[in-house]
Amino acid sequence: MSGLVGSRLAMRAKLWRHPRQMVFAALWYVFLGGAAVAVIMPYLWMLSTSLKGTAELFTYPPTWIPRVWRFRNYLDAWNAAPFALYFFNSLFVALVVTLGQLVTCSLAAYAFARMEFKGKNVAFALYLSTTMISEQATLIPSYLLLKELNWLDTYMALTVPFLANAFGIFMLRQAFMTIPRELEDAATMDGCGRLRFLGQVILPLTKPVLASQALFAFMNNWNSYLWPLIVTTSKHLRTIQVGLRYFVGQEGGTQWGIFMAATVFVSLPVVLVYFLVQKSFVEGIAMTGVRG
Amino acid sequence: MRKALVVLLVVVFAFAGCQAEGGKPTALPTQAPGQAITLEFWYSLGGSSGKVVEALVAEFNQTHDSIKVNATYQGGYAEIMAKVWSAVYAKETLPHVAHLGAAPLLGETGAIVPITDFTDGPNGIDRSLIRDAFWAYNSAQGKVWSMPFNNSVPLLYYNRDLFLRAGLDPDSPPKTWKEVIEYGKALTQDTDGNGEIDQWGFNTHSDTHWYLSAMFLENGAQIISADETRVLYNSPQAVAMLELWGKLVTEHRIMPPAQHNEAKSDFLAGKLGMFLASSANLPSFEEEASFQLGAAPLPSLAGQDPVESIGGGSLVIFQNEDPAMLDAAWEFVKWMTSPQSSLYLSTRTGYVPIYKDALAWPELASYLEENPLRRVPIEALEYSYAIPIFVSLGTSDGQLRKAVESVELGAATAQEALDIAKAVVDADIAERLQEQE
Repeated sequence: MSGLVGSRLAMRAKLWRHPRQMVFAALWYVFLGGAAVAVIMPYLWMLSTSLKGTAELFTYPPTWIPRVWRFRNYLDAWNAAPFALYFFNSLFVALVVTLGQLVTCSLAAYAFARMEFKGKNVAFALYLSTTMISEQATLIPSYLLLKELNWLDTYMALTVPFLANAFGIFMLRQAFMTIPRELEDAATMDGCGRLRFLGQVILPLTKPVLASQALFAFMNNWNSYLWPLIVTTSKHLRTIQVGLRYFVGQEGGTQWGIFMAATVFVSLPVVLVYFLVQKSFVEGIAMTGVRG
Repeated sequence: MRKALVVLLVVVFAFAGCQAEGGKPTALPTQAPGQAITLEFWYSLGGSSGKVVEALVAEFNQTHDSIKVNATYQGGYAEIMAKVWSAVYAKETLPHVAHLGAAPLLGETGAIVPITDFTDGPNGIDRSLIRDAFWAYNSAQGKVWSMPFNNSVPLLYYNRDLFLRAGLDPDSPPKTWKEVIEYGKALTQDTDGNGEIDQWGFNTHSDTHWYLSAMFLENGAQIISADETRVLYNSPQAVAMLELWGKLVTEHRIMPPAQHNEAKSDFLAGKLGMFLASSANLPSFEEEASFQLGAAPLPSLAGQDPVESIGGGSLVIFQNEDPAMLDAAWEFVKWMTSPQSSLYLSTRTGYVPIYKDALAWPELASYLEENPLRRVPIEALEYSYAIPIFVSLGTSDGQLRKAVESVELGAATAQEALDIAKAVVDADIAERLQEQE
């Protein structure tokens, strides 16, 4: 943390040195400020709506601060569906998938980055090409496959298909390739095996990239809606997004205040996970930005 | 995005092609005798209407010892359809009963039992008690496949406060399209004087295809040829109605171009005088509007009857090898659509009762005394009509919406837009019919 803040301060000190750079810096901050407002706005609007009664939802001009605060929306939302169960399901699935992806992706990425074997490039190209097929196109074939395995309407259907991720393999491979080969040679000379080298040298060195991959995996799974809806039927397997959808009426009848209250607590875990890995995440982006 | 969609469709149809021939989907396991029968029921109403469905199911379970219904919400009309179709093609376990929009389209798959097998059977009902339009809405290929459950009609909602301010009588809303234009002109205003209109006279909800096809029928246009192979969207009667629609934007300037997605919040915010939308919205509008709400039937052409084109969802019963399961499923569907349930649903949601004599029910009459606006959609059923359900209905809806948009934006004339729509839908019908063979 201190290193990051230090380098930022140094950067800022440098920026202030010349008037031209000052103007540039000022413009940059105005732009960043605008972008930050644009990003936070929907979230604030969600918070504001979540505390309003129906009568105040559509008033014009719109009110940011509710005239009457309705904290009850949160209670109503929580009680409208078995959210404790949905939270458990979503957390369980997202954590299993995130951990699974970190294991499979780092092993595969190591193989692609460091080992020589026949058909390596073809296999890698095949992996990459799967990222170009949209989820909708694979929906029905995947469904049929799960049916053959008798996995429909089980936790298996929610987790197993996502335990490997081509984009994650790609990202980790790129990161692993930046580790100097000499390091591995030295380790091998000292009698260190491949797995141990991966676990004790490569992974600690590429923590920011692993954190990014974990965040993507967690967020994508937490937010997924159509797949869990199609492959599960029983109420006890339902995930959080399916629970949220229930608040939306077919033709009218959406209780926006309660719906937004539910959206607030449903989006909290993703925000929390982001803060948890933020440090590594920011470093990861900085790392990719600096290179080349 | 477009490309992804094309890929999706190709894949879906590839599977449709190779799976559909393989016989009927597997049924749920049959029940041991003596035990209570458990029925799986999938439904697609969320929000406050969903609560009403659950309450009905709970009451059914309480009053029936030998049948237990397990109801699960499966997403909106689009999602539950995706789920049911995947299950049908994979020959995967289907529920016993489901609640769907455009239900009769499932008929050709062989997955559902025509509802007339039950309505006309020993434990049947008198079908003539229910309005004909609802039966038509549940028919395809000459068979009645599903049971009408939650149905709505288009309503012309209006803001009584804005009417008063514009010097219009809120007790005599426009009855014809000509009056809509007159009223609309009085309601369209630049309230803050900055040269930009900030209060519009008229707009419709985003399902423009629904209102446009109702207008086609009002003008005597046919939707589809008798053999159901060609849509008749470019007939002079149809073109004239889309021209009228376009003029609301270009000539009369009472409707903003292509802003149907925002129309609902504009109306509720008091920035729109008249708003065409489903009667299902009525209860939530009554709650959410901060002004005096008015509602009137769909406007008609001078001297003609209006055509209240119905929409909504239906109940279907899936095939099952065990006749006891089928009987139980019908018992449930029959109960859910009985006059009592229909009364319950229509007094708690914006959906209308399906029975012809509903207005004579004392419970409904006393309810309407207290909620006079709810009378409007029920009385409009006098003119109810069902758009024919044909294989390319989904494509057709999309094409009509596109035609409306291009006319509103001045990108095409009504004739050009409908020529294109017809060509695309006709090609789609031909393709689907070929696949079915």
